[in-house]
Amino acid sequence: MDQSKIRNFSIIAHIDHGKSTLADRLIEYTGTLTKREMEEQILDSMDLERERGITIKAQAVRSIYKARNGEEYMLNFIDTPGHVDFTYEVSRALAACEGALLVIDSTQGIEAQTLANVYLALDNDLEIIPVVNKIDLPSADPDHVKREVEDVIGIDASDAVLCSAKTGIGIEDVLEAIVAKVPAPSGDEAKPLKALVFDSKFDAYKGVVLYVRVIDGSIKKGMKIRMMATGAEFDVTEVGYFKPGLVNVDSLEVGQVGFFAASIKNVKDARVGDTVTDANNPAPEPLPGYRKATPMVFCGLYPVENSDYDNLRDALEKLQLNDASLVFEPETSIALGFGFRCGFLGLLHMDVIKERLEREYGLALITTAPNVIYEVFRTNGEVELVDNPAHFPEPTVIDHVEEPFVNATIIVPKDYVGAVMELSQEKRGEYENMTYLDESRVMIHYALPLSEIIYDYFDRLKSTTRGYASLDYELCGYRDSNLVKVDILLNGDQVDALSAIVHRDKAQVRGRQLVEKLRSLIPRQMFEIPVQAAIGNKVIARENVRAMRKDVLAKCYGGDISRKRKLLEKQKEGKKRMKQVGCVELPQEAFMAILKMD
Amino acid sequence: MKEYQQIQATYIHTPFCVQKCLYCDFASYACRDRQVMERYAEAVCKEIATGGAVKLPINPHATIYFGGGTPSTLPLECIARIVKALKEYKFWQQPAEATIEVNPGTADLDKLKALRTLGFDRISFGVQSLNDSELRTIGRIHSAQEALQAIAWAKEAGFDRISADLIYGLPGQTLASLRQTLEQLVATGIEHLSVYGLIVEEGTPLATLLNEGKLILPDEDVAADMYELVQQFLREQGFERYEISNYAKGEQYSKHNLVYWKYQPYAAFGAAACGFDGSARYTAASDVEAYINAQLSSFIYDTEQLSEAELLGEFMFMGLRKTSGANLQEARERFGVDIMERFAGEMEPFFQKGMLAYDSEAEVLRLTESGMELGNFVFEIFVTV
Repeated sequence: MDQSKIRNFSIIAHIDHGKSTLADRLIEYTGTLTKREMEEQILDSMDLERERGITIKAQAVRSIYKARNGEEYMLNFIDTPGHVDFTYEVSRALAACEGALLVIDSTQGIEAQTLANVYLALDNDLEIIPVVNKIDLPSADPDHVKREVEDVIGIDASDAVLCSAKTGIGIEDVLEAIVAKVPAPSGDEAKPLKALVFDSKFDAYKGVVLYVRVIDGSIKKGMKIRMMATGAEFDVTEVGYFKPGLVNVDSLEVGQVGFFAASIKNVKDARVGDTVTDANNPAPEPLPGYRKATPMVFCGLYPVENSDYDNLRDALEKLQLNDASLVFEPETSIALGFGFRCGFLGLLHMDVIKERLEREYGLALITTAPNVIYEVFRTNGEVELVDNPAHFPEPTVIDHVEEPFVNATIIVPKDYVGAVMELSQEKRGEYENMTYLDESRVMIHYALPLSEIIYDYFDRLKSTTRGYASLDYELCGYRDSNLVKVDILLNGDQVDALSAIVHRDKAQVRGRQLVEKLRSLIPRQMFEIPVQAAIGNKVIARENVRAMRKDVLAKCYGGDISRKRKLLEKQKEGKKRMKQVGCVELPQEAFMAILKMD
Repeated sequence: MKEYQQIQATYIHTPFCVQKCLYCDFASYACRDRQVMERYAEAVCKEIATGGAVKLPINPHATIYFGGGTPSTLPLECIARIVKALKEYKFWQQPAEATIEVNPGTADLDKLKALRTLGFDRISFGVQSLNDSELRTIGRIHSAQEALQAIAWAKEAGFDRISADLIYGLPGQTLASLRQTLEQLVATGIEHLSVYGLIVEEGTPLATLLNEGKLILPDEDVAADMYELVQQFLREQGFERYEISNYAKGEQYSKHNLVYWKYQPYAAFGAAACGFDGSARYTAASDVEAYINAQLSSFIYDTEQLSEAELLGEFMFMGLRKTSGANLQEARERFGVDIMERFAGEMEPFFQKGMLAYDSEAEVLRLTESGMELGNFVFEIFVTV
């Protein structure tokens, strides 16, 4: 099909503003899939995505739409992940499009996450088409939403499309707007191949399947391609497009969106953002914007059963096949034995990986509290990156420490401004600016330590604003911070997996909270267990888990022996599942205690 | 023949109560229907006639124990019929210890005299507490005064051996009220006591009341103080603690219960009753009608064949309940295991803490006083998971 008839677009929306429903409606309207087929397709997607109502992997669909002008258009819809952890992936998916629908709930208005993605789209020169959704609801206020779009984003919203994805009102208008406003691709089919990788997934039979947008030239079955960032070369075995299932064709032409496979064994060779070119006729320059995804959040993952160590490694390797941003390396903890230090894009990414390990691979895991990566400047001039609090050097050899900060954008009703500022201040935030979006909503910018965000900032933000606040953030570099390591000692022995890096001013309070929490979590044992928090050799807080005074089956007679035996067996089994640290038995929750303080 | 190769005790279960106590999760039903009881007694007699599930020779001195439920709710004629059957089939060859459990709320002088005449020489009263408000809280049908009266009648009826069950850690109980209960009870001159910490079993009305916050238990530390009070008070009063929860004066131990703790074979008759032949346990249907109907045709027991590891574990944790300890020579003889060798590593910390003691000459392993309080830690060594 002629490039001028191709429209590549994505949808930007806040969670629950109706992105999936609208996408479904568009696919249905164009007759790409029947309703029944759609349900089947949806069932094929990841359980976790459906349960959490979020998109983790990008998706793409090609539809053919016969417009009011009588012409047929090829619409490629690229669905982007919807979470701050995946900002880079979103930016690459947007870079594969010429336009984006900005879907806003007509009863709600713009949210921080929407705004962040709109800016990403504008950075990529996308044409933004405002779509006001849910106009069937009685509380819909489309004019207000349009005004907000103009005031906040600064784009013309006068001809915003009004629709209700739920009832089907305005769907055709949305499609017409796509045809009319989204620019056609403008690549050169004569130039050497340049295709942007915007996602990839591992298939047991095909190897890695790369999701690509052809910018220049074309991809054909049988050609030899080169990944420009890694230099790796492969022979293309399959080419096709998404319906959203894979449909094979002979080639993907300039401007088109689709996939190819080339017997690639590892997603590391098919990174998001990389440029695919013809190995025999390479493009002189790759597409701009590629970077290697860098993990921002780290935690230790340990098998509950030591014998599961190999299984955990196998499972991580398998997940990594599909997820180049997941990193892990073996580590050893005195308390937890052999495990892995894993790096993630963010907390959601971490949760998803943990859940998949447990659900899909049946592993029982102990997770240590997540932390960021610190830059420790030693007095001898060396700089060390520390991704595990247990490896934080002694205070005497530290000149200073820097930690990652983020630019946080918070959008909140104006009544909560005070609460948000108070919270952000408490979380060591540095105020930057504040703007009124309209008479009732305010956008606040703060620079915040990432460590505070992953600790409890978001939860606290949600609770202090009754769920009205929306948050977005991006890394803005490292800053000097007065940080210390707080160690936990049980019965006098340091438990490496419980160490935490905290700001010096908060060390006292956090130390106290930690030992109190641990005291409540550690079951009474045969002897008294002192629980201490310490900075270096200085104890800053102490609690005691008092000794158990009595634990014996009160009565046991002839008819009761089996039951009592089973009771003892169960108790013994329970203790086996605890981690033996020195002579103290520690329940698994203790290792997450650092995170959940209330 | 070794003691563990013979039936050393016979247990008869009565699954009827006037009213079920709030903490009870035993097989018993509130029942006053004389006809049901008669049919039940008849079924028990039939089961006795079959010899039951445990097919071992009977020691001529094997003990008899009527437990429940509340055996004293049975009409005397029913008890008499069962006694007759037990004697006829050699389970009861006098002289032997024969105990019957009696709820003080079901006792009168005539009945007690009749029981004595039938050959029972020991009574176990479910006293639980001598504080009326505590008794009401847990759904007992009798008052403190009735309990004391029942003990007095038992003596008058000619019972020299009287035991009482007590519970500590009851909702609303205090150290003072427990002490008062102990003092009053000991003053009656009884020579045997079983004292248990309250166990809240899942599914009992008591558990529900506690979950709903309608009742509150004394906290862990108060319960532990109560436990210590019991030890100290009974020691001062000249009682010997011969098992974790049992105390006797003048060696008036419950021979019947010692059979369980020595892990020797016992026969059992009645619904939900459980017999043991040294390697398997046999349990009859717990539903009364099911039990009666089963007796009409051929009788089927729920059989639990125990593995060597389970047998060994049970032998140990039952044996260690006695202050006299577990006989390791017998463990070797019966299960071919040298306990001191097999469990050396796991037992070591408990020897060090003085919770376990070993007499190498007698080959007896026992819990010390401090070991008893935390007995489960030691018991767990011997069970297998």
